[in-house]
Amino acid sequence: MSTVAIISSFADDTQCANAIEQLRAAQVGDFNTFSPIPSHRIERAIGRSKSPVRWIVLAGGILGVLAGLAITIGTTYEWRLNAGGKPLLSWPPFIVICFELMVLLGGIFGFLGVMMLSGVPTTEMEPGYDGRFGEDRFGIVVRCDEAEAARIELVLKESGAEEVVREGA
Amino acid sequence: MSTHLQKAHRERGAMKPRAVESVVGTSTRAVAGAMIVLGATAFMLALSRGGAAIAWQAYLVNLLFFLGVAQGALVASASFYLTQAKWGGSTPYRLGEAFAPFLWVGFFLFFGLYFGRSLIFPWVTHPIAQKAAWLNTPFLFARDGIGLGVMAAASYAFIRVSRGADARAWTIATDDIQLPPHSIRVRAPLVAVLFAVVYTLIAFDLVMSLAPVWRSTLFGWYFFAGCFWSGLTAMALTAVVLRSRLGENNLFTNSTVLHDFGKMVFAFSVFWIYLLFAQYIVIWYGDLPVETFFVVQRVHHLPWSPLSAACLVLIWLIPFTVLMSVRAKKTPVILGTVAGLGLVGMWLERYVLVVPSLSLDAVPFGPTQFLISIGFLGAFLVSAMPGLNRVAQAATSGEPVGDDPE
Amino acid sequence: MAAAPKISAEPSYRDIDRSVLRVMEPAGLAYWAWIGFCFTLVAIAAALWARQIYTGLGVTGLRQPVMWAIYITNFVFWVGIAHSGTLISAILFLFRTKWRTAVYRAAETMTIFAVATAGLFPLIHLGRVWFFYWLLPYPNERSLQPDFRSPLVWDAFAVSTYLTISALFWTMGLIPDIANAREAASGWRKKFYTVLAMGWQGTDRQWRHYSMAYLLMAGLATPLVLSVHSVVSWDFAMAINPGWHSTIFAPYFVAGAIFSGVAMVITLLIPMRRLLGIEDLLTEWHFDNLAKVVLLTSLVVSYAYITEAFMTWYAGDPIEQMTFHMRYFGPWGWMYWVMVLCNCVMPLLLFSPRIRVNLRALWIVTIFVNIGMWFERFVIIAGSLTANFEPSQWAGYRPSITEIMITVGSFAWFVGLFSLFSRFLPIISMTELKEGIVWLRKALKMDRATAA
Repeated sequence: MSTVAIISSFADDTQCANAIEQLRAAQVGDFNTFSPIPSHRIERAIGRSKSPVRWIVLAGGILGVLAGLAITIGTTYEWRLNAGGKPLLSWPPFIVICFELMVLLGGIFGFLGVMMLSGVPTTEMEPGYDGRFGEDRFGIVVRCDEAEAARIELVLKESGAEEVVREGA
Repeated sequence: MSTHLQKAHRERGAMKPRAVESVVGTSTRAVAGAMIVLGATAFMLALSRGGAAIAWQAYLVNLLFFLGVAQGALVASASFYLTQAKWGGSTPYRLGEAFAPFLWVGFFLFFGLYFGRSLIFPWVTHPIAQKAAWLNTPFLFARDGIGLGVMAAASYAFIRVSRGADARAWTIATDDIQLPPHSIRVRAPLVAVLFAVVYTLIAFDLVMSLAPVWRSTLFGWYFFAGCFWSGLTAMALTAVVLRSRLGENNLFTNSTVLHDFGKMVFAFSVFWIYLLFAQYIVIWYGDLPVETFFVVQRVHHLPWSPLSAACLVLIWLIPFTVLMSVRAKKTPVILGTVAGLGLVGMWLERYVLVVPSLSLDAVPFGPTQFLISIGFLGAFLVSAMPGLNRVAQAATSGEPVGDDPE
Repeated sequence: MAAAPKISAEPSYRDIDRSVLRVMEPAGLAYWAWIGFCFTLVAIAAALWARQIYTGLGVTGLRQPVMWAIYITNFVFWVGIAHSGTLISAILFLFRTKWRTAVYRAAETMTIFAVATAGLFPLIHLGRVWFFYWLLPYPNERSLQPDFRSPLVWDAFAVSTYLTISALFWTMGLIPDIANAREAASGWRKKFYTVLAMGWQGTDRQWRHYSMAYLLMAGLATPLVLSVHSVVSWDFAMAINPGWHSTIFAPYFVAGAIFSGVAMVITLLIPMRRLLGIEDLLTEWHFDNLAKVVLLTSLVVSYAYITEAFMTWYAGDPIEQMTFHMRYFGPWGWMYWVMVLCNCVMPLLLFSPRIRVNLRALWIVTIFVNIGMWFERFVIIAGSLTANFEPSQWAGYRPSITEIMITVGSFAWFVGLFSLFSRFLPIISMTELKEGIVWLRKALKMDRATAA
């Protein structure tokens, strides 16, 4: 059987979250959600685990501290300048550098991590994407067999979908 | 105990404080009373037996610490109004105000320092000509006494309005962007500004002047930031303790509320160490003997360096590493332990700021100091009891709590 | 007060989009004339800088002992301006402050351009600009490395980190909005936005990672804000110069930065909201709250001035007392008192709730604050240097035309870039405004109630 895509749109994120819960209860897993804002309700309804971005940022931060130590200690040993009688390895200034690099690499890693995990930049749009999902509509796009389609459309309509459209994928 | 409370508070009428038995049992009151007696006795004994110097040192350290906690918590309540915090209904406000009676106790105890002034302030026995216009007994006691008195009076003026019906209604109107009632909008900023000014004076006069040659422009701010943090930490500890004593469905069982306390303890401990570092790096880099001796005595030389390290660990390192995770902040045992350790750390910090100026080569800490500290703690607990009742009422009244949980 | 409201009292997501996207429609002649004017001033400044590179720093007024003057003042001033943006966008995000949504994009944009402007000044101040890379560690056969015990090196790291992180944070926030703009646009604009939006579609997967990354970036940016202006203040505090060596500098400068920055935000937003027709999204409620931040930081700055004055007397160091005496009563004393008027006295007016929402009065107060804070940097930096340890070295300072025009050019560069951005990219975050639509509606209701 051929697969179709069912595109539904909702005016409210609560209704959209309800619909997602209904879909999950009905064992439908292959769907994509679009929303103009990050909605906690929808995120909770979908129920995926926390984003791994935080580990990427942590890795970047740790790398930054290590890089800071490496640069400061390494360069001070290479050129042993007597600066006002201060010890060669003076930790107060080195802390400042390590802190800045921690934030720098943590932030850069975080940004790259988000881009990577979000699949951005990309030129391919997910099927069913429409401009109104960026403006004020919440959308669910379900991919399924043609046989299942009617049942799923019913679930969506009952959850308050404004519009349900079927497209041959 | 708890069902009696809950039944009584199901009616949303005028809330009069219940009898002390409700939250703080008679046994606790008895213990606190005994602590006060012990402390006073130890103090008197030390004075009569030639240990006057160490007695007054302990007196000063404890006065600074407990006054700081009480005032810091009160200013936290004022700050909650100024930042329009509605994450806990009226309970965080009551919690901040709970220690306020000690402000008057501290005010009177401050004047007690007059009797020990020759043993506390080096410039009393060895006046410094250049600073004599500022560092002289009458002026110092007048300005700090008036400061503490005005501070206590302003705090109570604030509390009176904060406990009123209007303010309470505002704190539970979670869905509104209206500002707090007008009288709050006048008194809360007043309390905050006075706190900065008065506690800067206290820091300069009661701590910095003990080493009259030393100066640091940031010291006042550093001191009152520590007071503020210790107030927040005491509030967090109290929240954890009351959580288990107040029966089911009290506000402190809401993990979001504990989470918010944990965030504040975390954030302001980082702010404290930032202010510490800002002083340290400037003094270290300039390497001017008139500035460095104070730091070197406390941080780099025995016998004080291990104590300074302990302060750092208790006030910053433990809260920072342990309270970073969301789950830790929401776990009462963890939050309570970190808060308790933090308060010990801040007490130790006051000790390390004050005592080396008076007794450099040895760390004087024996039964006398311990008992005097116990005495102050007892006085603090006794003065907090009526306030804690109000906290219990607020925490069990089933108020709505605002803001989305994460 | 204003013209008829352009959106209803109960705006919808679509209303927000329309209001914000309408700003990005092609602009008229007046706009381009303004851009032209700004960049003409920039061109003059650039030409004078080129002449300075060719001729040398002698074309400035810098003479011993005042070797740090207007350029460094501008550097500190612009880094300070930058801080407000990160405060509003990152720190207030962590506090879950409701009124931040409509203003943070503009504030953050100000940050980016202010840091970019600030970053030019160390370069301008380097006579031999082409050697700027000596500040960074790189392998070389003579084993020469920057001295990490010098605050100027900390500065290089701190300001570069700040520029990078602010830019990344700003970009991240922009992407969903640009995706929105992409849908509504046509022609070359559509292509432009499509490229910039990088294919963002707002899927649940994207929002999940985005939300967490945004929170973490805000969490990183917060200590960064504290650290950057602290490091800049340590350029001065590390020296043992009287008037510079003071432990309070770090938090005092940070508070001053937020003070001048939020004042600049208000200075820019008040005309901008009228010119771009977004009065309904930037309500009085927003300005009331911004004004309170200005008032609070003004009190902190006053506290610092008083503490420094007291401590100078208390410490009894005759050299330090002489420097401060010159600061208050010397040839530049007039500047100090103008500064006190602008920074300490005028903002006291903001205790009045009526003045806070009277946008004309508020704008005037913030103009004074901007002037006062520029003067403050000059008084501290150049003023302290005019009367230092060695009386035989005491000298005055007179800025040259190069320095003056470059200063003017820096303002023109900042305002010009900001004006360009405001027409080409969404100046208000549509995404966050929609997220906080409940509060926007309440604010509008409150606004209309007081206006009626």
